[in-house]
Amino acid sequence: MAKKRERLEVIKDIIRSIRDNKNIKPTRLLYASNLSPQMFKEYINELISKGFINLDIDDKEKKTFSLTKKGNDFLEEYRIIEDFVENFGL
Amino acid sequence: MGIPLEFYQIIAQNKILFRFIYSMIIAFICLIIVIKTDRLFRISSHQGIRYFRNAFFFYCIAFLLRIFIISPNYFSLAKIIFEFFMIMAGFFLFYSLLWKKLETKKDLSSLLNSKILLFYILTLILVIFDYLFGGYNFMFISQVFLFFIASMISYQNYQIKNKKHKFVRLYLVVMLLNFLAWSTNFIFANFLGGRLRFLANIYILNLIIFLIFLYGVTKFTRKKKKI
Repeated sequence: MAKKRERLEVIKDIIRSIRDNKNIKPTRLLYASNLSPQMFKEYINELISKGFINLDIDDKEKKTFSLTKKGNDFLEEYRIIEDFVENFGL
Repeated sequence: MGIPLEFYQIIAQNKILFRFIYSMIIAFICLIIVIKTDRLFRISSHQGIRYFRNAFFFYCIAFLLRIFIISPNYFSLAKIIFEFFMIMAGFFLFYSLLWKKLETKKDLSSLLNSKILLFYILTLILVIFDYLFGGYNFMFISQVFLFFIASMISYQNYQIKNKKHKFVRLYLVVMLLNFLAWSTNFIFANFLGGRLRFLANIYILNLIIFLIFLYGVTKFTRKKKKI
């Protein structure tokens, strides 16, 4: 059975998907995040409110996500946090 | 080649000064660990990091209070509070390795939740027993037991994560050193009382333990890698 992802890992996966796929659409991000629509909405709202990601809407009402500098910084810090947690067995 | 005898003589002549310096150094190391892990905790809100930080925050207070203890055999408020923080720090460090198996949902507070409350109660019982019987034997035995289990958990982590995460080996070593330090503390207090040479060696061992923790924290809070 696959191991349940931790909250931090889910956030990392979402942010990484946005970084790796410039201007990713909500539906595609939902598939990439492997979350239920309800959970996806909660995480996205949290990430927008924390300033990690932006929801961009163009003239044709097309919605895409982009990464902020803060989101990019988090991704770099994530590796440090992960390393720390794993090496200290926390 | 061992440590020269003159070294122990110098310590014997300046016991209070050396104890002061020793306690201050360890308190300072703990403070650096708490500060250095602050950023990681603020970004992640990771419970393990939270308990780990609590441990060193409590060690820091304990070692600052230690300066005011003249002798473990005499009653003083500093002795009681010192022992409380020292035991709780051990519990926090132990629980930082164990929380994943016991916590199903995130507790709002890492200082006051149902599991930690149990540690507070246990700690108070141990402190009261040591107060009634004199000395630190209940603290020593509890910490020997804790670090024995912590060593076993660290050994499991070492077996699982050794290939990818190299520090787990050193973490296992530091847990075993903690076990050794508390065991020798117990032996020293009960069977070798007054032998300064042993006490000085325990001090050195403790310094090594805290320096290894500091080394690990510095190493993993400094490096920057892109994923």
